[in-house]
Amino acid sequence: MTVKELANTELFSAVAMPHGEREINGVYIGDLLSWVMGRAEADNAWITIMSNNNILAVAALADTSCIILAEGVSLEDSIVKTAEEKGINILKSEKNAYEISVALSSML
Amino acid sequence: MKELSLNILDITENSVKAGAGLTEIKISETADTLTITITDNGSGMTDEVLKTVDDPFYTTRTTRKVGMGIPLLKLEAEQTGGNLEISSKHISNFPDNHGTVVKALFYKNHIDFTPLGDVVSTITTLIQGHPDTDFLFIHIKEDNEVSLDTRELREVLEGVPLNTYEVIKWIEENLKEQYENF
Repeated sequence: MTVKELANTELFSAVAMPHGEREINGVYIGDLLSWVMGRAEADNAWITIMSNNNILAVAALADTSCIILAEGVSLEDSIVKTAEEKGINILKSEKNAYEISVALSSML
Repeated sequence: MKELSLNILDITENSVKAGAGLTEIKISETADTLTITITDNGSGMTDEVLKTVDDPFYTTRTTRKVGMGIPLLKLEAEQTGGNLEISSKHISNFPDNHGTVVKALFYKNHIDFTPLGDVVSTITTLIQGHPDTDFLFIHIKEDNEVSLDTRELREVLEGVPLNTYEVIKWIEENLKEQYENF
């Protein structure tokens, strides 16, 4: 499933989608950025509630296919702009990490 | 990171990479704050580099000289209501007194405060990995103090390398003993 296809489902909306064609091959959940940096795998969708600009660098380092902001967390405009510039996909959902991953498990 | 001691290790590695001959690691605590100050006499940073060190994206896209160390430490400090300050004097403008100071302030009672963790391991790891550079470690809390100065050890050891097994073991035991009365 691609990031764009996921963004078009009911549960999610796109915050930034410079590379909607990227495939999602799994899911990682975590908020401790240094931990996520070393453990999220390439092409994972990464679910987090963190909203500072460091998440962009972590997503780039781990090469995740997208960040999914859980529980309606929103980002500052400047962070969204940087994400577009740096090619980082970001989706958001009102659901919590558990509910999102349950939904994803039947979609992926 | 899971423990602030790992952040200290990370930031101090930057100091060593910057060619510091002496790096001072100071932790000072009051009833509700904890301040980590890392001061080195390394090559320092130009104003241009200094402006970008807390920009995680910039650092990951260039040579990663600084890495994620500063952005993460800053985040952890700010999460508790504290802050991070960096000042630096680059060797090109300050040939005689160059170096960098990183100072992070944490509010210990904030629910998102990261525990300090195993500082003794951090200090011994640093000395073991970099036996030819000097470290001054001080941890102050009210009237108590733990301290270790590798320059003093070097004088006593008369040429025995600091990363000799027995020396590292002694440093570890000495710090642990000091912490028992802390």
